[in-house]
Amino acid sequence: MFDATVDASASALSLVGVSKTFPGTRALADVSFSIEPGHFHALVGGNGSGKSTLIKILAGVYGADRGGSLRLGDATFDVERLSPRWSRESGIRFVHQDLGLFPQLTVTENVLAGSSYPRRAGGLDWGEAHRSVQRLLDGLGAEVDARTAVRDLRPADQTLVAIARCLRDRDAGGVGLLVLDEPTTRLPADEVEGLLRRLKSYSQQGQSILYVTHRLDEVLTYADTITVLRDGRHVDTRPAAEHDRAGLVASIAGHAPEDVNRVSRTASDAVVLSVRGLTGGPLKDISFDVNSGEAVALAGLVGSGRTSLLQNIFGAVRPRSGSVEVAGLPVRRGHVADAIAKGLAMVPEERGRDAAFQSLSVSDNLSATTVGRYRRGGWLRRSAERRDAERDVAAYGIKGAIDAPISRLSGGNQQKAIIARAMRTSPAVLLLDEPTQGVDVGARADIYAQIDAAVAAGAGVLLATSDLDELLYLADRVIVLVDGRVTCEASGDRITRHWIFENVYQHEKAPK
Amino acid sequence: MTSHDGQSVTRAVSPDIEEVPQRQPFTASLRVAERFGLVILLAGVAAYFALNPATSATFPTTSNFRNIAANESVLILVALAALIPLVAHRFDLSVGAIVALTSIAAAKATTSMDLPILVGIGLAVGTGAIIGLANGVLVAYCRANSLVITLGMATLLGGVAASWSGYRTIVGVPEALTNFGNGLWLGLPRPVILVVAVALGVSFLLGLTVFGRRLLSVGVNESAAHLVGLPVQRTVALSFVASGALAGLAGALLLARTGSAASGVGVGYLLPALAAIFLGSTTIRPGRYTVAGTLVGVFFVAISINGLTLAGAADWVEPVFNGGAVIVAVAVSSLLTHRRLTGAARR
Repeated sequence: MFDATVDASASALSLVGVSKTFPGTRALADVSFSIEPGHFHALVGGNGSGKSTLIKILAGVYGADRGGSLRLGDATFDVERLSPRWSRESGIRFVHQDLGLFPQLTVTENVLAGSSYPRRAGGLDWGEAHRSVQRLLDGLGAEVDARTAVRDLRPADQTLVAIARCLRDRDAGGVGLLVLDEPTTRLPADEVEGLLRRLKSYSQQGQSILYVTHRLDEVLTYADTITVLRDGRHVDTRPAAEHDRAGLVASIAGHAPEDVNRVSRTASDAVVLSVRGLTGGPLKDISFDVNSGEAVALAGLVGSGRTSLLQNIFGAVRPRSGSVEVAGLPVRRGHVADAIAKGLAMVPEERGRDAAFQSLSVSDNLSATTVGRYRRGGWLRRSAERRDAERDVAAYGIKGAIDAPISRLSGGNQQKAIIARAMRTSPAVLLLDEPTQGVDVGARADIYAQIDAAVAAGAGVLLATSDLDELLYLADRVIVLVDGRVTCEASGDRITRHWIFENVYQHEKAPK
Repeated sequence: MTSHDGQSVTRAVSPDIEEVPQRQPFTASLRVAERFGLVILLAGVAAYFALNPATSATFPTTSNFRNIAANESVLILVALAALIPLVAHRFDLSVGAIVALTSIAAAKATTSMDLPILVGIGLAVGTGAIIGLANGVLVAYCRANSLVITLGMATLLGGVAASWSGYRTIVGVPEALTNFGNGLWLGLPRPVILVVAVALGVSFLLGLTVFGRRLLSVGVNESAAHLVGLPVQRTVALSFVASGALAGLAGALLLARTGSAASGVGVGYLLPALAAIFLGSTTIRPGRYTVAGTLVGVFFVAISINGLTLAGAADWVEPVFNGGAVIVAVAVSSLLTHRRLTGAARR
């Protein structure tokens, strides 16, 4: 059972009443729990549960609100004044999903990167370097030769190398807490088990581990203790043995009201998007249809292939095989301009990187796809272009001048402009990838209204979102992706918070 | 705490921390100073040499200004050539070598081959365009680094030009051509008329055509350009064709100006051209490569060097000034861009 006060000094990490407020939102509210030394402690929760915020606080990226307390071993720290340096000196180490390894370099070079190599007269003592790294790896139970190049290792062993790098200065300061942030997301299923077994036995030798994941089966099998966060609040911390799958899903999903006041729609029978056997990247043989006047959401964990699927349909990435038809017309594979001509439009996930032309004006951004319309005899008619820009700025409620660089607009207004641009071609199918990410509440409502209007006018929408409320509000049908495959779907009243958690967090097939 | 772990923590968590910081409001005077700084500096330099007793007799004269304008005409064409791919963030370092090769091509055509002048000019432009096409295909479709490809092309063309000219200066071009290069028309040197026409044309191309907009979009955000369905590769390839053709025209003009062609002459135009473009990107529309800015850049360098030379400075002033201009211009514009993107001043 959770108990932070009785024996706090014995805990590897203990949080009491830690909160974090951002302008407009409370990411963490009064969170208290502790991690016992030598425990394999799992942290689970949905998107927006506060997991990432908590990790960033431990990493010292930002301080928490005044009032909480944070204790590592015997030392208590001021939660308002945390820094990456504090985190490091306190012996907290992180392994992220992106391992940050140098694939061409050897294991030894990777492990010792950024730290001092053993030296001897005349230069580096490579023999000792390899031996010290080998000792670390052996300690982790990794069957890896320190002299091999990292790119030649299996993914699970690469993760162990990243862990070894965290532990390399263990003799000097000791690693108080090892934080693993979704290390298994990109691993093939048959390698996950080996990694977790090694981590478990390593923790039994006395290493405290905080393990953040979406994969509940892993947690139930290997963790000693499980902490659940939901909506920034601590739900509970209990030994894993006291949990079962259904209970854990219920804790994560919570009992939030299921009745989101969404518009009910009547989709027509006309298929506007037909995907058959799409394979490429993480995607394996994906087939489904989207009807006119229907919003279909793709649900899945990070790495399940949602973004990939949208990119492959749109031709931003060329699929290996399979076909895409829009209103019965085949779309050329890997050809964005053809996809747009056939009636597709996409709003990419990363606005700054993939959608906005930051130093160009709002008007130029709006007409990026449709600039050819303003050509009269080889000449761009700016007056017509400006008129259309003024029209869109008014229609989409974009607050900003059409001649101002789009970078001066707020995130929400930039996103409205990107959506307005996608609508310029009157698409039959809208592909939306996290359409309201980093967007304030007001702009979000405007964006939903635009999407609703497009669907009402007969467009089909395919939506990838990590925001469950958004999914429940917009989707008429949900398709679940697990590891690049469609596993199940639901529509209408069957789409509930619980159904989604139950199916999204479903474990991929067990290793054969 | 410079270890890799520490860095990867900050890097991995930074993207979703918060919105891009908004640009701090520049004061109006500062913005004017940024936009017209180089123009004001140009006027100041001209005023200085006009008033300085050492140069006041020779500098502010019609013939001197005619001289400067005519002398810079080739450089302006080369700079406008390099400008086009640069808008799409690609370097064309082969423009100087194209000038050398195409001036030899035009000289050969009009002397030993005895072809009409217009054919000679057409040959120069066409040769330039074909070389540009090769550059463009390699850079756009093989996704090769433009700096390396065009540097290699420049070196290769230098060798071809040397072999074709037989290490000799080709002379004896028809008078009609040299007359164009050195005559006056309505009181203006004739090459200036050509340069004005080309500058207007490039300005139109970049600002008022679909191609120009695509070029700019690719330069600003290539990934987004791809995702809005622009033909990124074709646009980039065509920008090199345009660049090569314009450099070919510059080669023909060089021949008309000097009446002779030699393999070593053209290459010297590359750095001054880049200097002018980068200087120009700090003015008029700071952060963008523009025709107007490039012209200001060319004349800023030309008038400064001209004044210094008239004041008695030695030949070494020119390379020092050109090199210095590139360094200062790139440093200043990089700094301005960085400040713009990171929210100008510290709080």
